[in-house]
Amino acid sequence: MPRVVDLAYGRTGDKGNIANISIIARSSEAYVLLREHLTAEAVRQALGDLCEGTVLRYELDNIEALNFVCHDALDGGGTRSLRIDPLGKSLAGVVLRMEI
Amino acid sequence: MVYRVGSAEGFYGDNVLSALPMILGGHVDAICFEALAELTLAILQKDKLKDPNRGYTFDLQIIAARVLPDAFRRRIPLISNGGGLNPVAAAHMVAETARKAGLQGVKIAAITGDDVFSRLEELHQAGERFEHLETSQPLDPGEYQLTNANVYMGARPIVEALKAGADFVITGRVADPCLYLAPLVAHYGWAWDDWDRLGAGIVAGHLLECTGQVVGGNSLALIDTIDPHELPRLGYPIAHVHADGTFVLTNTPGQGGIVNTSTVKEQLLYEVHDPARYVTPDVVADFTTLTLADIGANQVRVSGVTGRPAPEKLKLNFGRLEGFMREIIYTLGYPYAWKKYDQLKILIRETLKPLAIDRIAFHLLGVNSLFGSASPLPEDPMELVVRVMFTAKDEATLKNAVRLLMNNGLSGPAGVSVSGTTVGGEPRAIIGLFPTLIERTHIQHQIHYVEV
Repeated sequence: MPRVVDLAYGRTGDKGNIANISIIARSSEAYVLLREHLTAEAVRQALGDLCEGTVLRYELDNIEALNFVCHDALDGGGTRSLRIDPLGKSLAGVVLRMEI
Repeated sequence: MVYRVGSAEGFYGDNVLSALPMILGGHVDAICFEALAELTLAILQKDKLKDPNRGYTFDLQIIAARVLPDAFRRRIPLISNGGGLNPVAAAHMVAETARKAGLQGVKIAAITGDDVFSRLEELHQAGERFEHLETSQPLDPGEYQLTNANVYMGARPIVEALKAGADFVITGRVADPCLYLAPLVAHYGWAWDDWDRLGAGIVAGHLLECTGQVVGGNSLALIDTIDPHELPRLGYPIAHVHADGTFVLTNTPGQGGIVNTSTVKEQLLYEVHDPARYVTPDVVADFTTLTLADIGANQVRVSGVTGRPAPEKLKLNFGRLEGFMREIIYTLGYPYAWKKYDQLKILIRETLKPLAIDRIAFHLLGVNSLFGSASPLPEDPMELVVRVMFTAKDEATLKNAVRLLMNNGLSGPAGVSVSGTTVGGEPRAIIGLFPTLIERTHIQHQIHYVEV
């Protein structure tokens, strides 16, 4: 089973207690696969206790990318978080490690 | 014809001297410096409490002393939001620095009006409820000590200052991409309801505002292609913008870094929620209509951006002192590391029980500190590095907590050790952010000019 990292790259951004994870397809074929299988619910499950809220998915067909907006995913927000990575810079790794 | 906007700062502490090769090489027509992350104003508030003439970023001193002379000689305007909580004091400092450098005729503009900390009562009387953007809970000013209250301003006051001939515009809180939109509107005279062009300027600003992140920094796409020796000397980004809003993103010629459609996509979605509705004070930009094209080495053309009318209200962020946090790092080794970890957690929780500790968190560095429950755990590890974080309303409780934990020095699990630098560390303030919206009519800007 390929992992998302074989099909895409990505980066995490933070705003308050919300993390957004971009998943950018490496090819058009990869984008079709990701759009079909990489659902918001699957990402929510993979994030486990890192994300306490809902996950919304936005599609950008123009640049063949998905954007996952993860609510309550930063332990209260960058300034309150007790995590070693309070801004969630590494969070995209969870999604990139998922199997497709 | 193109107008070229460079970006030489993406956070307080960035390498602002990256502006020099842009200026000396004749590569830009204006340079912007973005210095205010969400938390930065709360940090500057501490400086201002110690000295009422402070409250701006120290980077402005470096810009004034080492960038302004060359920029001014070539009539390249500089724009910075590093004025933080005290743009006027910052402007006077810049003027003094310029005077010492022998410059004459420099016009510095300080823009204020974003800081509403002293107006909260008046705004409340005027009907502002300060309801939290996500939870809708109204702000309870008695709950925590407020540190600052700043509105995200748009590009208009900067445009006004540039049109008045300012060589250096210093602001407080401005929505990051609007800082970069301003010189474009000032140059091209785009109308304030020309939504597509304003949207294009915002996309350019959004791609520029994190400096190194669009030219190869923090890039997973480039992990196999970028030479790591280039990372400490990335040539920061420049947008070549046409009158119709189409632009080409590139890096500073002759410097390090790579710009291609991959780095642009990575930065385009950075800190973005709904990509069809990227809200700024001046326009709601739509990222889903644009087209990217690699048109040459380190040149990406961005076209087709659209925009919609600006939002009715402005965003206001409060900073609140919600308490303090403290970190202690322990190490545990083979054998029975997991059992020792359980013992250590019990020891710490019981020791801290008599104190008013609000939160305790345990993370294992190198095991699950980044990915929590998503991390597979090793069965019988050689070592566990335990990071313990705990919080309290006041610093004294945390100092007491560390003292009690150290009393356990010879009573812990077999072979436990503690990182001395963390024991000697200091509590760190927890500045919570409280975002809300405010009526535009309640916010007016002022421009103060200082001339040398």
